[in-house]
Amino acid sequence: MVKKKVAKVLAFRYMALAGILVILAGGLVLLPKYEKHEGIKPEQLLSNVISPERYITTDYLADKLVNQDPSYLLIDVRDEESYNTYTLPNAINIPLAKLLDEDSEMYLNQDQFNIVLFSNDNFHADQAWILCNRLDYKNLHVLKGGVNMWYNTIINPLKPTEDMPAIAFELFTFRKAASMYFGVAYPEQFKAKKVKKVIPKKVITVKKKKKAPAEGGC
Amino acid sequence: MGPLIPNGIIPHEWDSIIAILIGIVFGFVLEASGFSSSRKLAGVFYGYDFAVLKVFFTAALVALIGMYYMDYLGYVDVTQMYVHPTYLWGAIIGGVIMGLGFVTGGFCPGTSLCAVAIGKIDAIVYVIGIMIGVFIFSELFFLFQPLYEGSFLGNITLVDSLGINPYWFIFIFTIIAIISFVISDIIRKRNKKIFY
Repeated sequence: MVKKKVAKVLAFRYMALAGILVILAGGLVLLPKYEKHEGIKPEQLLSNVISPERYITTDYLADKLVNQDPSYLLIDVRDEESYNTYTLPNAINIPLAKLLDEDSEMYLNQDQFNIVLFSNDNFHADQAWILCNRLDYKNLHVLKGGVNMWYNTIINPLKPTEDMPAIAFELFTFRKAASMYFGVAYPEQFKAKKVKKVIPKKVITVKKKKKAPAEGGC
Repeated sequence: MGPLIPNGIIPHEWDSIIAILIGIVFGFVLEASGFSSSRKLAGVFYGYDFAVLKVFFTAALVALIGMYYMDYLGYVDVTQMYVHPTYLWGAIIGGVIMGLGFVTGGFCPGTSLCAVAIGKIDAIVYVIGIMIGVFIFSELFFLFQPLYEGSFLGNITLVDSLGINPYWFIFIFTIIAIISFVISDIIRKRNKKIFY
């Protein structure tokens, strides 16, 4: 008797299983949709924000440029007009408004280069930095102080007064030498030879980042 | 959080070990459900046993529904899942050849290895056949290469290429599956029962 009852119930087992599948699938359709959090987690962003690697100084950058470190990619986030007026050597112009364009992504979303973002100060560059960080792009840095700082420290370094420590003089010597490298001429130089150094613009090609796929299959 | 391996929660080095463990379980389940018998697989084509169709269709559905629920709850990111790349004509022609092998031999590559493990002679012959096929394919690869690498569509899914809402797609897919189960049951009842 009990067996018969069990058999009677079990006769519907496939129907019940099919019903469960339909209900679960229908549930997916009916569930309220919500906007997913795109990009990296807030905690990750915060740790990037407070990371000391975020900013690089103009002196550090000048050193890298003078030594022709190939791993640095400079990106000018100012508008095209400012870019054409003056920019850092071999910089690429990606105006802040065009940051999310497809062409820009090729330069920003890669892990071959250390990217240095800069603008006149570091305000717009910081904004670009945040946006790119949210998109989980790697190796991003901001030039501290931007082009203004670059001009004040590298191109037109302040001569230290006599009561300053030796280290300030060393820094000044370095900056002066760097400025000569970037094409600034000093009066004492004029007597010798007037050679304008032309630094050829490098064409920087960027390979698209390949995502290593996990292999799978039957 | 997930998928676990692309996000580095499980390191890449564990890939092979996990594959072996899953393979053992998969093989065990295949054997335990009688899939190592070529008659069971051939039954789909002759219409006396649709277990294979039901099992694989249900497995796909359960995985699909489960995955999208996990995605909804934030445990897995579906967009990070590995999608096998589509080489359209290669897949079509390869599918036809595999289907022919399926009907004539009564095994799929997975079940044939299962059947070898329990010592079926037909499966041993079948696996030798696979090896010969692999050998011929590798030696004549330069002939097949244009087909093998041609008509590449990228890592697309049906949802991408049809451009429909994945949730509705899953629902429709579920309905299709259940209808196909019902139809296959009707076909099976009409056929003469075969004992094997």
